[in-house]
Amino acid sequence: MGAQVSTAGMIVTLLKKDFLAFSRDRIYSILSLAALILFIVVFWIFPMTVDESITVGISHHDLGMLLDADGEEGIELLVFPSEALLRSVISGDAEAWIGDDGKLIIRDVTDGESRPSGASKATVLVGLSFPEQFIISTAMGQQTTVTVYTNQDTPPEIRGAMVSFIREIAFMLAGSPLPVTEPDAEEIVLGTDRMGDQVSMRDRMRPMLAFFVLMMETFALASLIAAEISHKTITAILATPAKASHVLTAKTLFGTMLAMGQAIILLLATVSFSADNWLMLLVAVFLGALIFTSIAMVVGSMGKDFITTLFLSMLFTIPLAIPAFGVMFPGSTAPWVRIIPSYGIMQVLMDVTVYGMSWGDAWIYLTIAALWAAGLSAVGLTILKRKVVRL
Amino acid sequence: MSIRNFWTIFKKDVAVGPRSPFVLFAILLPIALTIVLQMVFGDLFAQKPRFALVDQGSSQISLLIQDIDGINVTMLSDPEELKQQVQSHDFDAGLILQPGFDQALKGGEKPVMQFYISGESYAIDRLILSVTAIDLIRTVEGSSPPVEVELVSLGRGEALPISMRLVPIIAMYAFIIAGLFVPASSLVEERERKTIQAVLVSPAKLSDLLAAKAVLGIVLTIIMTVVTLLLNGAFSHNQLDMIVVLIVAAIFWSMLGLVVGLLASNSQILFAIVKGSGALLFAPVIFYLFPDWPQWIAKMFPTFWAIDPVWQILANHATLADIILPLMVTAGMSIVLIPIVAKLGRRMLVQLASS
Repeated sequence: MGAQVSTAGMIVTLLKKDFLAFSRDRIYSILSLAALILFIVVFWIFPMTVDESITVGISHHDLGMLLDADGEEGIELLVFPSEALLRSVISGDAEAWIGDDGKLIIRDVTDGESRPSGASKATVLVGLSFPEQFIISTAMGQQTTVTVYTNQDTPPEIRGAMVSFIREIAFMLAGSPLPVTEPDAEEIVLGTDRMGDQVSMRDRMRPMLAFFVLMMETFALASLIAAEISHKTITAILATPAKASHVLTAKTLFGTMLAMGQAIILLLATVSFSADNWLMLLVAVFLGALIFTSIAMVVGSMGKDFITTLFLSMLFTIPLAIPAFGVMFPGSTAPWVRIIPSYGIMQVLMDVTVYGMSWGDAWIYLTIAALWAAGLSAVGLTILKRKVVRL
Repeated sequence: MSIRNFWTIFKKDVAVGPRSPFVLFAILLPIALTIVLQMVFGDLFAQKPRFALVDQGSSQISLLIQDIDGINVTMLSDPEELKQQVQSHDFDAGLILQPGFDQALKGGEKPVMQFYISGESYAIDRLILSVTAIDLIRTVEGSSPPVEVELVSLGRGEALPISMRLVPIIAMYAFIIAGLFVPASSLVEERERKTIQAVLVSPAKLSDLLAAKAVLGIVLTIIMTVVTLLLNGAFSHNQLDMIVVLIVAAIFWSMLGLVVGLLASNSQILFAIVKGSGALLFAPVIFYLFPDWPQWIAKMFPTFWAIDPVWQILANHATLADIILPLMVTAGMSIVLIPIVAKLGRRMLVQLASS
């Protein structure tokens, strides 16, 4: 007779078996590693800065002080020596480059001219051509014509805005004040003014990447559980001193460790942890891992083969991606998104890493996520237990 | 051909096939390509300015702003909700029009412009929305602009963002991987693992096997191309026509896949065929990126006729009537491939019998 194995020993043994089975599943072990590397690479490829402005080409004769519009936030003016050159750049026959000295260099692409060395290319989305005597004529109430040159790359909102912009300049020159009372500048901007210091797409991507890592592990765990059920491995395990509770505990621990471990690696590789936020982030990824593990248990119990498991995993996890998209594209999601289990986790990942959210603000998100995790864990364990017992 | 045998083989391929890296590749590649290409060139991460409006009276501005192209406008009812959502950057900016705003404007009373900007909105969006709002206010006030603004569109034809011109490339990947590679590799794998002999000694005929492989490719191609088009926002026009086009194109690609799969006796030869013909298969889509190139050259490539109807619907909003010629050519090429598949199939049976 062998010695009695403790509960902890049993669970550790089952955990080892699960890790071994995972490492033997070539598809998911390779995909998990490759995906993790890919997500980290993608994070660092994404732009760190945000370009908030557009370059507007301008040709004029005597605009003088009006060129101070360059001070207008959102527009970078590039003065062209002639309207013909401006036209050729907008039409794509030539390119505008800015030399080291800040001077404009025009490269004729139809002639096959080589690229100017030490210069950077300017993307001129729209061109404005002002007629001679524009200021004086407008100020005297004589109507002139300003031409706005666009091409196929000019977004419609920029076309419209340029027309409105020129009209407003003309109104100002003609001495027509705004027909409304403007509020104080401080009252106009709501929230912290981040102009010049916008949240980069790289930072916005972080919750989405964490979501993908957790999702990948949902696929892996669900596939593992489905395989154990279809191959009756679980029945064999239950013929040993191991009980169903040991199997379920080991599965929960395995899934949570697998998902959380990779999420932590991702957060480490994306330099997300700081002395102030590490515990909040760990709690968030732990709850996320628990939620996704629970879903994997449900899917694994229902999946009969690879394709069914994959399909069900997608079906259950894709809705959880919506809050991550919402973080990437603010304003793109409806208010009901807040009831999705992953909402609080994605919000904490974003707000903690970007805005320095404190426990005081994070606790509500984490509490809701914890309730979801507890509820889904109960559902996942119940469904899996029922399946295991019936085998 | 037996429907029952075909269905059994098809079900087996659906259940086992997804373990093939090609199927995973077919599923993941269009999505990954969309993300990468749109990230570099495209609109995926370039949102339109979002503007919220609360009209407490019945201002003309709320009507006029709906006609402005390129701005996402949302009407709200509660001013506090507007401020809250602008602050949380659900909108880039918002305007509250108090009751009697238009009358006050026309009467020269200079009403307060309750215009709010999100602290997180980009400078260019702030500019676009503020000048647009002011322009509308001037319009309602009745001021005629003291300047004539002439809009001149230069360059080639209608405005078409580069992100849209990249869609045929991604769709072509879906066609080649899902339509051509999946049936071809599935056939080759069966030959390499000798499972094809096992199938053929059963009541199933070669035609059942080939039909099952082709249908797997067709279904996967249609699904992945629709997903690709949806991801790229290119599935908004003539959806039914697009589905018809995709079915015709998917049949052509799967037939081509069967030809390649029957020609290749092992994976190395399969890769050699696909690698060798890759440039020919792909060449037509490059012409969509460079509209200045002589477009007649693209028509020399057979695969042009399978991708062009997709392009015509997404870029020119064409209907089936407009693209009947390329559709007929694609269907004709598929029909021409049937006897070739049959002949190659017989050749494979001889090879299997002699091996």
